[in-house]
Amino acid sequence: MSRRVLLSIAVLAAASAAPWVVSNPSRQNFLILAMMTAQLAVAWNILGGYAGQVSFGHAAFYGLGAYTSSVLLIQFGLSPWIGILAGGVLAMLFALLIGWPCFKLKGHYFAIATIAVAEIVQVIFTNWRAVGGAVGLYLPLREEGLKAFVFHASKLPYYYIALGLLVLTLLVSQTIERSFLGHYFRAIKDEPEAARSLGVNLTRYKLVAIAASSFLTAAGGTLYAQKELFIDPGSVMATSLSVKIALASILGGVGSLFGPVIGAGILTGIEEVTRQFFGGSGRGTDLILYGMIILAVAVYYPHGVIGGFKAWSQRRAARARSGSTG
Amino acid sequence: MKRGLGRLLSAILVFIGGAPAAPAGEEVKIGAIYPLTGAAASTGLELKNAVELAAEMINHGAQGLNLPLAGNAGLPGLKGAKIRLVFGDHQSNPQIGATEAERLITQEKVVALIGCYASNVTATASQVAERYGVPFLNPDSSSATLTQRNFKWFFRTTPHDELFVRNFFVFLKALETKRGIRPKRIALMNENTLWGTETTKLEEKLAKEQGYNIVETVIYPAKSTQLTSEVQRLKASSPDLLMQSSYLGDAILSIKSYQELGFTPQAILANDAGFNDSEFLRTLGKAGNYVLSREVWALDLTSRNPLIKQVNDIYFKRFKTNFNGNSARAFTGLYTLAEAINRAGSTQPEAMRKALTETNIGGDKLIMPWQGIKFDATGQNTLGSGIIVQVQHGKYVTVWPFELASADVIWPMPAWDKR
Amino acid sequence: MSVEIVLQTLLSGLLIGLVYALVAVGLTMIFGVMDIVNFAHGEFLMFGMYASFWLFSLYKLDPLFTLPLTALLLFALGAAVYQTVVRRIIHASMLSQIFTTFGLMILFRGIAQFLWKPDFRSIDNSLVSGAVRLGALQFGLPQIVAGAGAILATALIWWFLDRTRLGVALEATAADREAAQLMGIPVQRMFTIAWGIAAACAGIAGGLLSTFYPVFPEVGANFILIAFVVVALGGFGSVTGAFLAGIIVGLVEVVGGFLIGPQLKLALVLLLYLLVVLLRPQGLLGRA
Repeated sequence: MSRRVLLSIAVLAAASAAPWVVSNPSRQNFLILAMMTAQLAVAWNILGGYAGQVSFGHAAFYGLGAYTSSVLLIQFGLSPWIGILAGGVLAMLFALLIGWPCFKLKGHYFAIATIAVAEIVQVIFTNWRAVGGAVGLYLPLREEGLKAFVFHASKLPYYYIALGLLVLTLLVSQTIERSFLGHYFRAIKDEPEAARSLGVNLTRYKLVAIAASSFLTAAGGTLYAQKELFIDPGSVMATSLSVKIALASILGGVGSLFGPVIGAGILTGIEEVTRQFFGGSGRGTDLILYGMIILAVAVYYPHGVIGGFKAWSQRRAARARSGSTG
Repeated sequence: MKRGLGRLLSAILVFIGGAPAAPAGEEVKIGAIYPLTGAAASTGLELKNAVELAAEMINHGAQGLNLPLAGNAGLPGLKGAKIRLVFGDHQSNPQIGATEAERLITQEKVVALIGCYASNVTATASQVAERYGVPFLNPDSSSATLTQRNFKWFFRTTPHDELFVRNFFVFLKALETKRGIRPKRIALMNENTLWGTETTKLEEKLAKEQGYNIVETVIYPAKSTQLTSEVQRLKASSPDLLMQSSYLGDAILSIKSYQELGFTPQAILANDAGFNDSEFLRTLGKAGNYVLSREVWALDLTSRNPLIKQVNDIYFKRFKTNFNGNSARAFTGLYTLAEAINRAGSTQPEAMRKALTETNIGGDKLIMPWQGIKFDATGQNTLGSGIIVQVQHGKYVTVWPFELASADVIWPMPAWDKR
Repeated sequence: MSVEIVLQTLLSGLLIGLVYALVAVGLTMIFGVMDIVNFAHGEFLMFGMYASFWLFSLYKLDPLFTLPLTALLLFALGAAVYQTVVRRIIHASMLSQIFTTFGLMILFRGIAQFLWKPDFRSIDNSLVSGAVRLGALQFGLPQIVAGAGAILATALIWWFLDRTRLGVALEATAADREAAQLMGIPVQRMFTIAWGIAAACAGIAGGLLSTFYPVFPEVGANFILIAFVVVALGGFGSVTGAFLAGIIVGLVEVVGGFLIGPQLKLALVLLLYLLVVLLRPQGLLGRA
């Protein structure tokens, strides 16, 4: 236990110091993107990994967060720091609203329902001219600084905000994992019938999971909006985004605390590398590589990287035990 | 006040070490960000080819052609430095576009950027350039909003949608004056994306201003599996004229649907994009005939300027296809950028920027049917304009402006079964 | 709004719905037999379209005649995909399986772009082109042929599953894998055949679509979401359900799009799905 704490502190320290070592803004940007994806993956994991309700529609929460804070900023001049909370609350309310009927569905039906809901939200925003419609929204970029939540001169503020949000999300995730909620979630995921027979109200706890998950995801959406300063339905509500954050979690190891972070790091890294070195040709070689890597991991490391690591360390421990008698 | 603040901001950025000032040595690195994979990949590759050809011709001197920088290998103002292009693939994703812009600027150390075709990607990528104080030349994005941002480092050679839509109505007016043709009922059809939506908004606005009657507006989602509901609605509204904005896939699908479901307005007036793609006619053959489209370039304009055919011949020899509006604009864009850098005599950002603002290239040196290239205070080229082409006998011919036209407009178009 | 337009809209919806049904039948079969949702199903459709296109482009063979060959090629591809990749993850978690088929999807798109470039291709002037007139009504011939082809293919599948020994064995495997195994049914072979047939279905649908829909590496993306919705609406694992659901989805999309607005047509389909599964969680004909 304490080893985990020490490791966490070490990683946090390294992450905080990283931008001073990695001075190239493009590489800093890569780290920021990785952290943003990681934050989304950890948030997703609360619902999809711990509670076992696999959602492929999280982009709806992300987009709602991004649009809420942006519209409040553009039309009412509301500070994005308040907007980020407003977005989170709105997304949470929406999540509860659709969660309540949808949690009646199981397995694949639920997954496709989440896609359906997210796509409907995207269609609505694409046709809603008052919030930009298909044209999207440009966020004001003249004002700069902490108050405005816009930074031009350096990437560092974005870096630390992304890191802070990631740490916050991890803390929430860990708190849930360790609390009675964590137990109930695991029960809902692995043995729903047994849990129900013991009097656990499945729907109530699934709603708790989706509330936390959606709030945090929406916060990530606001960060995206403030960083890129332009949003449109295609960039913040697309199903491909939902699938990507689910994938990051799965790749790293669903149902573990740091799995999603590792998965996000790997996924972002693969995307960057394949695009940089193979993307320019236009022949699709980066896609081929990306696909093969996903396949390899999916087939040979079905419990994700964390699972593979656990298996490896177990084998090592077993070998050490048998070795000491040999 | 805002401009002053912007200037101060840029100066600070440049000082902090954002934009590199490479010595005028052997080569000038320019970053090109285009969709090289994903849905728009075929257009992206066309643009890549065009820009590469332009760079080659600049580097080798383009002897005997009336292009800027012709007769000199490389950039004479920088002691013959050659242009080296570094490509980035934005995959039609605005965030990736911004990421690539950042990478090209800070890692590849390009001195300028060119791109990105899709307006929403150009929006974010050019923002990055603005932050770093790097010139961004946009030859091919048409959203009017891009030059409404008060940017200092953004320069656009192509006219934008507002101008193009005005072209439509000037054309219709001219047609009415010359031949007494006036569509009483107009239907609009656009794809539900940034460009399509903006175009329709502008069309609605201008149609109202000029007293035309819009009887139906059909908006459809991109990547539709079929367009029957759309076509049925069009049929139900019986328009004389259909004004359509579609990318390639939907352009092909819609024409086929019109043919199959028997929808024949008097004319179809398209807003470029899919209708001018090389694949459009190759796929549709005769069915593509009589479509009118706003274009930016046409081969038959060479009668006015032989340079057009000369350069097209080189392009054709290399890539086995003629220029189209997109590739021609990309080609021209790189030349504009290179010409400015050459005049600047250095790759110092502010010098390049100043040179760009002072750009004044005559129409005779362009393969575009423009009066020239000159940027206004918002970075927009004010001397550009669109043309209207019509597909006749399987070829695009210029039909407007009438002074440049090589054929008369055929209106109304014959029914599908009578072709 | 005249009677003709209403009738035409209904028929158009029916015709495209039949194609959706054919695509979904393959997808639902895989799920029914081995509980896997194949994210790469759209890519089988894409390969079917390319097969049809190249046979036409290189050998001047009309898609109508090359359909059986396309089906065969895709059957081989589906079976191969099962043997090389899917076989290894049958016992993995749902998430892993999703992850795997997702990887296949990306890989296939990349391969298609690598081999054939991202350009749009289209079959022009096939035998199946142009319009058909029935009095005041007019329809596209490709769509009619596609609809008829889809009915035929689905009927063949149904006959196969219901009336042949192999088909019955497949259904048995779907119903109870262990029991089937105990009965001596070679389960691995069943799985391979299921993937082959599913891919062939998508391939035939692709071949039919290629007569009027453009062909490009990412074309699968345009159909896969609708295919998922159809499968879920019909009930995972039910071939008859997928057939009915496909028609319903087609009608809702086209008729709804016409009446309410084409920009919302996808939303209407999705709303229909949500309504149905919330009222009847297992879909129309799925296992409760």
